[in-house]
Formats: sequence, C-alpha cells, structure tokens
Amino acid sequence: MSDINLLLNRVSKRFGGNQAVDHVSFSVTKPELIGMIGPNGAGKTTLTNLMSGMLKPTTGTIYLNGRRIDGHPAYDVTRAGLGRTFQITRALGRMTVLENMMVPGLAHRPRARRLDLEERAHEILGLLTIDHLTNEYSRALSGGQRKLLELGRLLMLEPSVIILDEPFAGVHPRLQETIYQYIHRVHEDGKAIILISHDMDAVFELSHRLLVLHHGALIADGAPQAVRSDPAVIEAYLGHDEDD
Amino acid sequence: MAILNRIESAIDESIGRRRLGYALLGLIILFFLWFPNDASQSNYAKTVFISGFFYAIMSSSWALLAGIAGQFSFGHMAFMGIGAYVAGLVARDGIVFASLGIGITAESFSAIGTIIIGTLIAGLVGLVIGWLLLRLRSAYLALFTIAFSELFRIMMLTEYDYTGGSNGLSLRPLLQIADIDAARQVEYYLMFALLIVCLLAMYWVANSPIGLFLRAMREDEDAASALGVNVVRYKILVFVFTSMIVGLAGAIFYSDVGSERIIPEQLEVLQMSLIIAYAVIGGMESLIGAAAGAFISRYLLEAMREVVISLPLGLTLPDGSDAFVWETGAWRFAVFGVVMVFTLRYMRNGLLYPIITWFSGRDLAMQETVAKRDDDDDLDEQAGASDE
Ligand SMILES: Nc1ncnc2c1ncn2[C@@H]1O[C@H](COP(=O)(O)OP(=O)(O)O)[C@@H](O)[C@H]1O
Ligand SMILES: [Mg+2]
Repeated sequence: MSDINLLLNRVSKRFGGNQAVDHVSFSVTKPELIGMIGPNGAGKTTLTNLMSGMLKPTTGTIYLNGRRIDGHPAYDVTRAGLGRTFQITRALGRMTVLENMMVPGLAHRPRARRLDLEERAHEILGLLTIDHLTNEYSRALSGGQRKLLELGRLLMLEPSVIILDEPFAGVHPRLQETIYQYIHRVHEDGKAIILISHDMDAVFELSHRLLVLHHGALIADGAPQAVRSDPAVIEAYLGHDEDD
Repeated sequence: MAILNRIESAIDESIGRRRLGYALLGLIILFFLWFPNDASQSNYAKTVFISGFFYAIMSSSWALLAGIAGQFSFGHMAFMGIGAYVAGLVARDGIVFASLGIGITAESFSAIGTIIIGTLIAGLVGLVIGWLLLRLRSAYLALFTIAFSELFRIMMLTEYDYTGGSNGLSLRPLLQIADIDAARQVEYYLMFALLIVCLLAMYWVANSPIGLFLRAMREDEDAASALGVNVVRYKILVFVFTSMIVGLAGAIFYSDVGSERIIPEQLEVLQMSLIIAYAVIGGMESLIGAAAGAFISRYLLEAMREVVISLPLGLTLPDGSDAFVWETGAWRFAVFGVVMVFTLRYMRNGLLYPIITWFSGRDLAMQETVAKRDDDDDLDEQAGASDE
C-alpha cells in the first residue's frame, strides 16, 4: 500500500466573473472512498481539473505525496500519483483498446517489458469485462464500454489517488454494476477514490466520507449520515432545480 | 469467392500474411536495386525514379508528422528548403560570426559538411516552430505553417543578392563523377538508400513507445496528458525529427543529386499541397503507404505528360501518323485532383490501405467490430452535461 497524502489549501478558480471554485480546502490521507457531490455547476469538474493539472488555480496550493502540484502540467501530476477520468469519456478513438491501455502503461513504466505491460492490461480488461474487445478500435466501443476503458487505463498508472468524474452518468445498469465492483476492488487495493456525482443517492451508499460543493465552495465534509442531515446541504439541494 | 476464401485461409495457416507482405516488400526492393542496371532504361527514367524517391521521403515524413502525430503542417517544404538553402549558403559563403570575429571559409567545408549543417539548422528551426505551435490546433496550425512557409519563400525570392532569387541557388555537388551514365547510377542508389534509411528511422520511432504517444497526442492532447504523456516534449520532438529528415533530403537532393539548384518556386504552397496529396492518396497513417503514394503519383504524373493513343486497323491521321498524341499538360493534375477527392470521400485511409491492412493481418482482429457495438445498448452520450 502506497502512502497517500493529497492536500488542498484554499484552492480557487475564477472564470471571468464566475467563481467556479471558491477557497476549497480538504485533505485525503488514507485509502478512503470519498463521495464528492453538488448540484450541476457546483464546480466539481473544475475542481477535478485543478487537482489533475488541467487547469491552474487562481489562488491556493495543492500538494500530493509531499510534492506541490498546482499549476504543474497534467502528465506530471499523473506521474506524481493522481489519476482521473473525464465526465465525457475521452477514449483515444483510432487506437485499439490495448493501445489505449499501453499509453499510460508505457508512460508510467517506460522501462517495463511490453509483454509484462500487455499481460497486466489483459488482466485489468478482464476485471472490467471488456477483454473481448482488446483489439477493437476504441471508437467502435459503446459509451459505457468506453467508460470502463477509461477506468482500466487509470490502473495502468498505478495511482494512489483516483478521481472519477460522474462514472455512472448515462451508463447501462449492467455496466454500472461492473463499475461498482471496480470501485470496491480498487479501494481494497489501498487507493483513495474520489467519486464525483451530482446525484447524492448514487454515492451515498458507497462513500465513507462526503464532500459537498455548492457554488464552488465546500459546504460540508464528513460522514455521509451527518452530511445528509446538514441543513446547509439540504438547502443546497432543495433550493436548486435539478435537471436530471 | 469460395476459392478466394480458401486461398486466404491457406495463406493464413501456412505462411502468414505478414511474411507474405515482407516477401513482397523484398521483391519490390530487389526491383528497385535492379532497375538502373536494365540497359534499356534511359537516364530520364532514372531521373524520374530519383525524384520519386525524394518525394517519397517528403510524403512519408509528412505522414509521420500529420497522419501519426496529428500535426497538420504546411511547413514541410519550407524545412526541406531550409536544409537546401543553408547548405548552399554555407558552401558559397562559409560561416561568419561577425560579432565574435570568427569565420569559417566556404572552402573548408566539404559537400557533406554543408549538408550536415543544413540538416541541423532545419532541425533547429523545427524546434522553434514546434515550440511556437504548441498551443495551436488544427486549422490554426495549418494557417501558421502556411504563413511561415510563404514568409520563407518570399525571403528567398527577394533577398536575391544572397539567395539568387528566382534563379535559385546551387549547392556544392556531392558526387563528382564525370561520366553522366555512371553519375546517374550512383545518384539513383544514393537517393534510394536515403529513402530506405529514412523509412527505417521513422518506422523505428513509429513502432517505439514514442509512436504510441504521438498517436495518443493526435487523438486527444488532454487525455494523453492525463495519461502521463508529456505532450509538449513529443510535439517538439516530432517537429525536430521530421524537419531534420526533410532538411537532409533537401540538402542531398539539391546537391546536384536530383537537381542542380534549389529554386523558390519549389517552396510554393502548390508544391506543398502535392506532398500532402501524395500522402493522402497513399495513406496518411502509413509511412510506407505515403511513400508509395508519392512514388506512384510522381511516376504517373510524368508518364501522363503525353498520352499516345494508337489507332487501330492501320488507320492514319491526316498527317500520315498512326497514333494520336494528346498533350495532357495541366489535365493530368485535374485527373490527380479527382483521384484525391475520391480518396478523401470514399477511402479516408488511402488507396493502399486495404492492401497494407491485408498484409498486416490487422483486419482479422477487427472483423467483429460491427457486431459488438449494439451489444450493450446503454443510454450513453445522453447525459450531455457539459465538461469543463
Ligand atoms: N472553461 C470554463 N470557462 C468558463 N467557465 C467555466 C469553465 N468550466 C466551467 N465553468 C463554469 O464553472 C462552473 C462550475 O462548472 P463545473 O465545474 O463543470 O460544475 P460541475 O462539474 O459541478 O457540474 C459553472 O458555472 C461553469 O459554467
Ligand atoms: Mg461536472
């Protein structure tokens, strides 16, 4: 088990006049299963982009395993041990499923033997029940299968912290079940998982801890039961028209 | 059809398509090695082949840059020109660092020396351009590189005191062989060897992890970056690498191997478009496909300069000749344009793609693709919540 230490200190992001993320601070220091919830537009994806190096915070600092990573390029953050998926899947379309796995595999372990990496890729694809698609171009996959592929690619990076941005959104229930199993396994493997959803019920059962974003600010951070009865959280959800 | 299928499966079982492909490739290489020894071939035919090899290098390296790495650049000809012009300038004027008071005279450079310097400068400019292009994508990258390329061409045209203007610039002859036939023979082998070496080097890159990263970058820069690929490094790397290849090819070709002087006309956008067209017709994502596309296109364009239609049954034309000669002139480019349009519309991967895929056996692994798509009919893509 690798040591985990993700630390956000008053992280903010402004887009013009829009405070998308507003002085968010929290830390992850053990292999927890953390749900991050908040209505649409609350800033969850933006916060993910800040943590993964896709965006540079306007203010604030982020440390991962002792290294400062805010504003660092995404590949560097990835190598420091943080992996993420995208809300809208980003399969490398004109590359096969195996090649999609080998990109992070070789980026993470440039010196490894290809055969070993391929073996590992097959193993992971098997776990995700898409090993029969190994040699398909990933653009030929269904949206749900692409989500699974993204989850698989992450494991090739052997990250200590994983952020899953809306992994269940628009996925067939049968594949959702596979994703649940994946999350449990990866967690048992000793990784911290931040599971993002706009739907509180979806993550409530799974999580040990809930973070609630509202208008970019972190309004609650604690055990699911406590968070659920938090007046500020209820207000945030009821005071909003959810669109799905 | 049944027979064809049986032949196919027999081949798969006994020989393997890949090996058959290599055998065919070997035969093609043997043909090219033998060709100049065929006494019936004129020097003109060899010249056509030499220029075919040169364009094969241009188009295949463009395929690496655009087809594999996704950098749709129009600057490729300009980098070739940089290699050639720098070699020519060094051969004539030497190198002078006025501010340091250091100078190396032109005489102290061998032809090879000038070619090396031309290649290095092409790579250096590739580094700068690659860096400037980092944040530009697709259409902007194309526009930027067109502007760069035109700027370079116009500089070469207007600074005629240095560059010879529209008359062009001659480089130091690389081979000094008095006998024309013997010279043409050596030039032929030299250019062919250069093509093989460039293809091998590019295949080595394309098949290494770097090639995988380049393709990932082509597909989605952000995703590649999130998967640990240092996109900046590989983008610059592919620009430097391909610039050096075409800089080298240009410096050698114009050192009186394929042509005795480099002229600015060669750097026009039309010429660049032809390089792209050859690659597209042959297959942008395949180095060998693009090379073959360029060679075959060059050959056909040459062959089509004049179309001779023999009249049947001893008929004669009013002037007494028994053949009708059609001067196709610009029409051959029109035909070429039609082929390109057809390729883009119906065979996006190039006309040679089916052949190359068959020999690689890749289609075997892909056969089931269509069936599986609907297997898991999820609601995907419906959750259209906007990312970022
Ligand atoms: N690249 C961007 N430019 C400008 N505004 C953005 C950008 N990305 C997100 N936003 C805005 O930031 C806010 C938070 O968005 P987002 O992080 O996508 O929310 P969530 O993922 O919680 O639904 C929204 O108001 C959104 O419009
Ligand atoms: Mg979001």
